[in-house]
Amino acid sequence: MNKQRSILNNPIENPEKWVDLYGDYLYRFALYRVYETTVAEDLVQETFLAALGSFKNFQYRSSIKTWLTGILKNKIIDHFRKQAKEQQMNDIESNINKLEDLFDQNGHWKIKPANWNADPQKLYDQKEFIKVIHKCLTGLPGRQASAFILREIVGENTKEICKILDVSTTNCWVLLHRARMYLRRCLEINWFANVNVRESI
Amino acid sequence: MKPWMFNCKKVTQLLSESLDRNLPLYQRMGMRIHLMMCKFCSRYKEQLLFLRKTARLYSESSEDSDLSIQLSSEVGQRIKESMVRFLKKHE
Repeated sequence: MNKQRSILNNPIENPEKWVDLYGDYLYRFALYRVYETTVAEDLVQETFLAALGSFKNFQYRSSIKTWLTGILKNKIIDHFRKQAKEQQMNDIESNINKLEDLFDQNGHWKIKPANWNADPQKLYDQKEFIKVIHKCLTGLPGRQASAFILREIVGENTKEICKILDVSTTNCWVLLHRARMYLRRCLEINWFANVNVRESI
Repeated sequence: MKPWMFNCKKVTQLLSESLDRNLPLYQRMGMRIHLMMCKFCSRYKEQLLFLRKTARLYSESSEDSDLSIQLSSEVGQRIKESMVRFLKKHE
Protein backbone atom coordinates (compact mmCIF):
# COMPACT_ATOMS: atom_id res chain seq x y z
CA MET A 1 0.00 0.00 0.00
CA ASN A 2 2.76 2.39 0.97
CA LYS A 3 4.63 1.62 -2.17
CA GLN A 4 1.53 2.31 -4.25
CA ARG A 5 0.80 5.50 -2.38
CA SER A 6 4.25 6.92 -2.96
CA ILE A 7 4.05 6.20 -6.65
CA LEU A 8 0.63 7.64 -6.92
CA ASN A 9 1.25 10.67 -4.82
CA ASN A 10 2.03 12.26 -8.07
CA PRO A 11 0.42 10.19 -10.79
CA ILE A 12 -0.19 13.19 -12.92
CA GLU A 13 3.51 13.69 -13.36
CA ASN A 14 4.25 10.05 -13.78
CA PRO A 15 1.64 8.24 -15.85
CA GLU A 16 4.30 5.92 -17.25
CA LYS A 17 4.51 4.21 -13.90
CA TRP A 18 0.88 3.14 -14.11
CA VAL A 19 1.43 1.45 -17.42
CA ASP A 20 4.58 -0.29 -16.18
CA LEU A 21 2.91 -1.47 -12.99
CA TYR A 22 -0.54 -2.50 -14.14
CA GLY A 23 -0.48 -2.55 -17.94
CA ASP A 24 0.32 -6.24 -18.39
CA TYR A 25 -2.14 -7.30 -15.75
CA LEU A 26 -4.98 -5.29 -17.26
CA TYR A 27 -4.07 -6.51 -20.72
CA ARG A 28 -4.31 -10.15 -19.64
CA PHE A 29 -7.58 -9.47 -17.91
CA ALA A 30 -9.00 -7.90 -21.08
CA LEU A 31 -7.57 -10.45 -23.48
CA TYR A 32 -9.14 -13.34 -21.57
CA ARG A 33 -12.52 -11.73 -22.14
CA VAL A 34 -12.40 -10.21 -25.61
CA TYR A 35 -9.77 -12.46 -27.31
CA GLU A 36 -8.63 -9.92 -29.89
CA THR A 37 -5.29 -8.37 -29.07
CA THR A 38 -6.06 -5.01 -30.68
CA VAL A 39 -9.38 -4.74 -28.85
CA ALA A 40 -7.71 -5.64 -25.55
CA GLU A 41 -4.97 -3.06 -26.14
CA ASP A 42 -7.51 -0.34 -26.86
CA LEU A 43 -9.50 -1.22 -23.77
CA VAL A 44 -6.39 -0.94 -21.61
CA GLN A 45 -5.63 2.45 -23.11
CA GLU A 46 -9.18 3.66 -22.51
CA THR A 47 -8.97 2.39 -18.95
CA PHE A 48 -5.84 4.37 -18.18
CA LEU A 49 -7.27 7.54 -19.73
CA ALA A 50 -10.50 7.16 -17.78
CA ALA A 51 -8.45 6.55 -14.65
CA LEU A 52 -6.47 9.74 -15.19
CA GLY A 53 -9.70 11.64 -15.66
CA SER A 54 -11.25 10.38 -12.46
CA PHE A 55 -8.18 10.01 -10.28
CA LYS A 56 -9.15 12.90 -8.06
CA ASN A 57 -12.19 10.87 -6.99
CA PHE A 58 -10.10 7.89 -6.01
CA GLN A 59 -10.23 7.56 -2.24
CA TYR A 60 -7.81 4.72 -1.58
CA ARG A 61 -10.78 2.68 -0.41
CA SER A 62 -9.59 -0.14 -2.62
CA SER A 63 -6.19 -0.94 -4.08
CA ILE A 64 -5.22 0.85 -7.28
CA LYS A 65 -5.25 -2.49 -9.04
CA THR A 66 -8.83 -3.22 -7.98
CA TRP A 67 -9.89 0.28 -8.92
CA LEU A 68 -8.34 0.02 -12.39
CA THR A 69 -9.82 -3.45 -12.88
CA GLY A 70 -13.25 -2.03 -12.06
CA ILE A 71 -12.85 0.62 -14.74
CA LEU A 72 -11.66 -1.99 -17.22
CA LYS A 73 -14.64 -4.20 -16.46
CA ASN A 74 -16.99 -1.39 -17.39
CA LYS A 75 -15.03 -0.79 -20.58
CA ILE A 76 -15.34 -4.48 -21.44
CA ILE A 77 -19.10 -4.34 -20.91
CA ASP A 78 -19.29 -1.22 -23.10
CA HIS A 79 -17.38 -3.11 -25.74
CA PHE A 80 -19.93 -5.93 -25.73
CA ARG A 81 -22.73 -3.38 -25.87
CA LYS A 82 -21.27 -1.68 -28.93
CA GLN A 83 -20.54 -4.99 -30.58
CA ALA A 84 -24.11 -6.17 -30.02
CA LYS A 85 -25.41 -3.08 -31.80
CA GLU A 86 -23.30 -3.86 -34.83
CA GLN A 87 -24.18 -7.52 -34.91
CA GLN A 88 -27.19 -8.84 -36.72
CA MET A 89 -29.81 -10.64 -34.73
CA ASN A 90 -29.42 -13.62 -36.99
CA ASP A 91 -26.58 -15.16 -35.10
CA ILE A 92 -29.16 -16.25 -32.57
CA GLU A 93 -30.33 -18.52 -35.35
CA SER A 94 -26.92 -19.62 -36.53
CA ASN A 95 -25.60 -22.91 -35.26
CA ILE A 96 -29.21 -23.90 -34.81
CA ASN A 97 -28.91 -26.77 -37.25
CA LYS A 98 -25.86 -28.19 -35.61
CA LEU A 99 -27.65 -28.18 -32.27
CA GLU A 100 -30.76 -29.77 -33.70
CA ASP A 101 -28.58 -32.57 -35.00
CA LEU A 102 -27.85 -33.64 -31.45
CA PHE A 103 -31.48 -34.71 -31.01
CA ASP A 104 -33.83 -36.89 -33.04
CA GLN A 105 -37.35 -35.90 -34.10
CA ASN A 106 -38.75 -36.85 -30.72
CA GLY A 107 -36.23 -34.74 -28.86
CA HIS A 108 -34.15 -37.68 -27.65
CA TRP A 109 -30.36 -37.63 -27.73
CA LYS A 110 -28.92 -38.71 -31.05
CA ILE A 111 -25.33 -37.89 -30.11
CA LYS A 112 -25.26 -38.94 -26.48
CA PRO A 113 -23.18 -37.05 -23.92
CA ALA A 114 -20.13 -39.04 -22.87
CA ASN A 115 -19.09 -39.73 -19.32
CA TRP A 116 -16.42 -37.09 -18.62
CA ASN A 117 -15.67 -38.11 -15.09
CA ALA A 118 -13.35 -35.15 -14.58
CA ASP A 119 -12.47 -32.62 -11.96
CA PRO A 120 -12.26 -29.10 -13.41
CA GLN A 121 -9.70 -28.05 -10.84
CA LYS A 122 -7.30 -30.82 -11.82
CA LEU A 123 -7.83 -30.33 -15.52
CA TYR A 124 -7.28 -26.67 -15.20
CA ASP A 125 -3.67 -27.19 -14.24
CA GLN A 126 -3.00 -28.51 -17.72
CA LYS A 127 -1.91 -25.98 -20.28
CA GLU A 128 -3.33 -28.02 -23.14
CA PHE A 129 -6.77 -27.97 -21.56
CA ILE A 130 -6.75 -24.19 -21.28
CA LYS A 131 -5.81 -24.00 -24.95
CA VAL A 132 -8.84 -26.10 -25.84
CA ILE A 133 -11.10 -23.87 -23.75
CA HIS A 134 -9.74 -20.83 -25.51
CA LYS A 135 -10.33 -22.43 -28.87
CA CYS A 136 -13.90 -23.38 -28.01
CA LEU A 137 -14.73 -19.92 -26.67
CA THR A 138 -13.43 -18.24 -29.82
CA GLY A 139 -15.57 -20.61 -31.88
CA LEU A 140 -18.80 -19.28 -30.41
CA PRO A 141 -20.79 -17.00 -32.71
CA GLY A 142 -20.98 -13.30 -31.71
CA ARG A 143 -23.90 -12.83 -29.37
CA GLN A 144 -23.62 -16.27 -27.87
CA ALA A 145 -20.02 -15.52 -27.02
CA SER A 146 -20.93 -12.15 -25.50
CA ALA A 147 -23.75 -13.65 -23.47
CA PHE A 148 -21.65 -16.52 -22.16
CA ILE A 149 -18.64 -14.38 -21.30
CA LEU A 150 -20.77 -11.77 -19.56
CA ARG A 151 -22.62 -14.42 -17.58
CA GLU A 152 -19.94 -16.92 -16.64
CA ILE A 153 -16.68 -15.02 -16.86
CA VAL A 154 -17.57 -11.42 -16.05
CA GLY A 155 -20.30 -12.64 -13.68
CA GLU A 156 -23.23 -10.42 -14.70
CA ASN A 157 -26.82 -11.42 -14.02
CA THR A 158 -29.17 -12.23 -16.87
CA LYS A 159 -31.19 -9.05 -16.50
CA GLU A 160 -28.11 -6.90 -17.02
CA ILE A 161 -26.96 -9.02 -19.93
CA CYS A 162 -30.29 -8.54 -21.71
CA LYS A 163 -29.85 -4.80 -21.40
CA ILE A 164 -26.25 -4.83 -22.54
CA LEU A 165 -27.00 -6.99 -25.57
CA ASP A 166 -30.38 -5.35 -26.14
CA VAL A 167 -32.30 -8.63 -26.41
CA SER A 168 -35.41 -9.95 -24.69
CA THR A 169 -35.05 -12.12 -21.61
CA THR A 170 -36.17 -15.17 -23.55
CA ASN A 171 -33.59 -14.54 -26.22
CA CYS A 172 -30.98 -14.16 -23.55
CA TRP A 173 -31.76 -17.61 -22.17
CA VAL A 174 -31.70 -19.02 -25.67
CA LEU A 175 -28.29 -17.49 -26.31
CA LEU A 176 -26.88 -18.90 -23.08
CA HIS A 177 -28.41 -22.31 -23.70
CA ARG A 178 -26.94 -22.50 -27.18
CA ALA A 179 -23.55 -21.27 -26.00
CA ARG A 180 -23.39 -23.91 -23.27
CA MET A 181 -24.58 -26.61 -25.63
CA TYR A 182 -21.90 -25.67 -28.11
CA LEU A 183 -19.12 -25.39 -25.55
CA ARG A 184 -19.77 -28.73 -23.93
CA ARG A 185 -19.87 -30.41 -27.33
CA CYS A 186 -16.68 -28.63 -28.31
CA LEU A 187 -14.90 -29.79 -25.15
CA GLU A 188 -16.19 -33.29 -25.67
CA ILE A 189 -14.85 -33.45 -29.20
CA ASN A 190 -11.58 -31.63 -28.65
CA TRP A 191 -10.62 -32.86 -25.23
CA PHE A 192 -12.59 -35.74 -23.78
CA ALA A 193 -12.71 -37.81 -26.96
CA ASN A 194 -8.91 -37.80 -27.06
CA VAL A 195 -8.55 -38.45 -23.35
CA ASN A 196 -10.83 -41.46 -23.52
CA VAL A 197 -8.96 -42.88 -26.47
CA ARG A 198 -5.72 -42.54 -24.56
CA GLU A 199 -7.17 -44.21 -21.51
CA SER A 200 -8.63 -47.13 -23.38
CA ILE A 201 -5.32 -48.02 -24.99
CA MET B 1 -45.86 -30.07 -22.86
CA LYS B 2 -46.85 -31.92 -19.69
CA PRO B 3 -44.06 -32.07 -17.09
CA TRP B 4 -43.99 -35.88 -17.10
CA MET B 5 -43.53 -35.80 -20.83
CA PHE B 6 -40.49 -33.52 -21.09
CA ASN B 7 -38.04 -34.91 -23.60
CA CYS B 8 -34.24 -34.58 -23.54
CA LYS B 9 -34.22 -31.55 -25.77
CA LYS B 10 -36.61 -29.71 -23.48
CA VAL B 11 -34.73 -30.81 -20.37
CA THR B 12 -31.39 -29.54 -21.66
CA GLN B 13 -33.00 -26.16 -22.25
CA LEU B 14 -34.45 -26.12 -18.73
CA LEU B 15 -31.15 -27.23 -17.20
CA SER B 16 -29.47 -24.25 -18.78
CA GLU B 17 -32.23 -21.85 -17.71
CA SER B 18 -32.05 -23.16 -14.16
CA LEU B 19 -28.54 -21.71 -14.01
CA ASP B 20 -29.94 -18.25 -14.75
CA ARG B 21 -33.31 -18.08 -13.04
CA ASN B 22 -35.68 -19.88 -10.68
CA LEU B 23 -37.82 -22.22 -12.72
CA PRO B 24 -41.53 -22.59 -11.98
CA LEU B 25 -42.37 -25.60 -9.83
CA TYR B 26 -43.90 -27.72 -12.57
CA GLN B 27 -40.78 -27.33 -14.70
CA ARG B 28 -38.53 -28.28 -11.80
CA MET B 29 -40.67 -31.32 -11.14
CA GLY B 30 -40.67 -32.36 -14.77
CA MET B 31 -36.94 -31.94 -14.94
CA ARG B 32 -36.38 -33.99 -11.80
CA ILE B 33 -38.60 -36.82 -13.01
CA HIS B 34 -36.78 -36.90 -16.33
CA LEU B 35 -33.33 -36.81 -14.72
CA MET B 36 -34.15 -39.80 -12.55
CA MET B 37 -34.77 -41.82 -15.66
CA CYS B 38 -32.25 -40.40 -18.09
CA LYS B 39 -28.55 -41.00 -17.63
CA PHE B 40 -27.58 -38.79 -20.56
CA CYS B 41 -29.41 -35.72 -19.34
CA SER B 42 -27.88 -36.34 -15.90
CA ARG B 43 -24.49 -36.29 -17.55
CA TYR B 44 -25.45 -33.14 -19.39
CA LYS B 45 -26.35 -31.52 -16.09
CA GLU B 46 -22.97 -32.46 -14.62
CA GLN B 47 -21.28 -31.08 -17.70
CA LEU B 48 -23.03 -27.73 -17.41
CA LEU B 49 -21.81 -27.48 -13.84
CA PHE B 50 -18.36 -28.44 -15.05
CA LEU B 51 -18.52 -25.62 -17.59
CA ARG B 52 -19.52 -23.13 -14.95
CA LYS B 53 -16.68 -24.13 -12.65
CA THR B 54 -14.22 -24.04 -15.50
CA ALA B 55 -15.39 -20.59 -16.54
CA ARG B 56 -14.84 -19.41 -12.98
CA LEU B 57 -11.32 -20.82 -12.93
CA TYR B 58 -10.69 -19.23 -16.30
CA SER B 59 -11.87 -15.89 -15.01
CA GLU B 60 -9.60 -16.10 -11.96
CA SER B 61 -6.57 -17.41 -13.79
CA SER B 62 -6.70 -14.63 -16.38
CA GLU B 63 -5.28 -12.35 -13.77
CA ASP B 64 -2.06 -14.00 -12.80
CA SER B 65 -1.45 -17.33 -14.45
CA ASP B 66 -0.03 -16.78 -17.88
CA LEU B 67 2.54 -14.10 -17.25
CA SER B 68 3.96 -14.51 -20.72
CA ILE B 69 1.02 -12.48 -22.02
CA GLN B 70 2.22 -8.89 -21.91
CA LEU B 71 1.60 -5.60 -23.59
CA SER B 72 4.13 -5.09 -26.35
CA SER B 73 6.56 -2.26 -25.66
CA GLU B 74 5.22 -0.29 -28.66
CA VAL B 75 1.68 -0.44 -27.36
CA GLY B 76 2.87 0.40 -23.86
CA GLN B 77 4.63 3.42 -25.32
CA ARG B 78 1.55 4.43 -27.29
CA ILE B 79 -0.57 4.30 -24.17
CA LYS B 80 1.92 6.36 -22.19
CA GLU B 81 2.00 9.00 -24.91
CA SER B 82 -1.78 9.15 -25.06
CA MET B 83 -1.81 9.69 -21.29
CA VAL B 84 0.66 12.54 -21.54
CA ARG B 85 -1.43 14.13 -24.30
CA PHE B 86 -4.55 13.67 -22.21
CA LEU B 87 -2.94 15.45 -19.26
CA LYS B 88 -1.76 18.36 -21.39
CA LYS B 89 -5.24 18.79 -22.77
CA HIS B 90 -6.80 18.80 -19.31
CA GLU B 91 -4.32 20.99 -17.54
